[in-house]
Amino acid sequence: MDQKANNNILSVKDLTKTYPNGTQALKGVSFDVKKGEFLVIIGLSGSGKSTMLRCINQLIPSTSGEITFQGKQIPSPAKNKILKKLRTKVGMIFQHFNLVERHTVMSNVLMGSLGRTKTFKSMMGIFSEQDKQKALNALKLVGIEDKALFRADQLSGGQKQRVAIARALTQNPDLLLADEPVASLDPATCHTVMDYLKKVNEELGITIICNLHFLSLVRQYASRVIALKDGKLVYEGKPSDINEQWFEKIYGEGASEVHIN
Amino acid sequence: MNANLIKRSIFDSIIFGYLLSVAAVVAIAPTEDQMLNLDKLSIYFGLFLLVGLAISFLLNKSGIKTLGESIFEPPHKKTKVIKKPWYKTFSGLQLIITFIVTVVVGVNQTNFSFRELFDESGLLGAMRLLEGITSPDFSILPRAVLAIIETIFIAFMATMLAVPLAFLLSFLCAKNIMDKNIFGFILYSILRTIQNITRSVEALVWAIIFSIWVGIGPFAGMLALMLHSVASLTKQYSEIVECVDDGPIEGIQATGANSLQTVWFSVVPQIVLPYISFTIYRWDINVRMATIIGLVGGGGIGNLLFQYQGQAAWPAVGCLVVVIAVTVWLMDTASAYLREAIK
Repeated sequence: MDQKANNNILSVKDLTKTYPNGTQALKGVSFDVKKGEFLVIIGLSGSGKSTMLRCINQLIPSTSGEITFQGKQIPSPAKNKILKKLRTKVGMIFQHFNLVERHTVMSNVLMGSLGRTKTFKSMMGIFSEQDKQKALNALKLVGIEDKALFRADQLSGGQKQRVAIARALTQNPDLLLADEPVASLDPATCHTVMDYLKKVNEELGITIICNLHFLSLVRQYASRVIALKDGKLVYEGKPSDINEQWFEKIYGEGASEVHIN
Repeated sequence: MNANLIKRSIFDSIIFGYLLSVAAVVAIAPTEDQMLNLDKLSIYFGLFLLVGLAISFLLNKSGIKTLGESIFEPPHKKTKVIKKPWYKTFSGLQLIITFIVTVVVGVNQTNFSFRELFDESGLLGAMRLLEGITSPDFSILPRAVLAIIETIFIAFMATMLAVPLAFLLSFLCAKNIMDKNIFGFILYSILRTIQNITRSVEALVWAIIFSIWVGIGPFAGMLALMLHSVASLTKQYSEIVECVDDGPIEGIQATGANSLQTVWFSVVPQIVLPYISFTIYRWDINVRMATIIGLVGGGGIGNLLFQYQGQAAWPAVGCLVVVIAVTVWLMDTASAYLREAIK
């Protein structure tokens, strides 16, 4: 039992989420995530993928169920202290990048260190040398340090997502959540961003949980796949094991694959 | 009870009650003393309202559509009848009659009189005034310039002191920030109500209040404008805060930032430009208002204006009018250019 707990960075048991308007987004989902995995969650729009991710870092409080992160259970709703501790270890990138458009790239990436910078200092723009160096390293890792002084709204979509990754990396996370990170990008840029995610996973050992739409991407990048349908877990296994039968079960009858090259 | 039925009944009973009241006044021609008996008037008006309600009910029941019905009837009913041209319907007739009656009453109420407009002695007096104004006496120009500088500073101080207060209050009056818990919502409601009341009281009235409190002069004018500005700016600022993009807020929250850091880094950058734009707009308005405030003792050029018009020194008034017009026009143009540039 202890050995298993050591290997699992995240453990989700019977997670349910019902929104105030009655929508049941998650109906008792359970799964484990091992350290260093590249886990991909697939499923139709509305199957609960985004809700799932947001419950992990408590951007959305869950209705019931257990979430255990690095051996500690996360209560829901959690107190601010616990949330801060949790979120400094869990980075997140989003489909629409969620950068602060009017700030420079460097400023945006430094925001990753907000969790460990005192309020007044951060508001005055005083960040420690260590944090500035971390931010620079993160920018170098995603190959965008030459754009450090550009305003975020002057970048293309793919560049923005890389800045978002750099921001998450500056947090020094153990887990990185990616909510449909490439859904707004063209096929070529897709691969660039996914490659960087893979680099982060393999070189820095950061566990990744990623929502994706395209199976071809899943096959290329995921080490393990889980599928959600209507808020329930309907598949768990290797990406190569998703045959046509499973595909129809996950996406519904009459669905056919779209290939993204 | 059907909401549309209530709205229609209220509307029609007011319209019919009003028409009946006008008819009663015309028919009975009460004296001023009789009109001052508010209790009796209220009873009569109440009676007319009830009669109007009955008329509305009976007409609609027997198939004749009143104006209230045609305004408030639910959309699905509209499709059931073939439309007659509006002037042939009862509701059209009701509308026209009400409008004509109101214009006639309005003419009477406002003492509108073509005779007065074209009265010869009146016209001559006005001509004298216009002559005075259009041949300004620039000997008082130095004093006028000093006064307008005072006015501009009154407006500036009022705006600058109002901005930090309004900035802080705007977050407390923004629904998307305050609806997280019940205390926030109560605070939001209280502040919003206070803000609306403050804004409803004209700056002029505040100037009178303050000129009694701190004495006549620019300080009173500045305080009055400041109060009014805080209320207006808070409303405008909070409307911007309510429109911010949610995405960056989520993004910053996910890094483990606390609430203050989240607001500072994800909300504030989105609101800075619109805030500046509104502030410049506010200063512009305040300069204009400052000239008027002077009339009730708020200092600046309004004071001079009040003095000279009291003495009927029209050429001097003319000079002041020119100074005010030039200043306001310059501020207007500058403000427009600045706001365009920082978009």
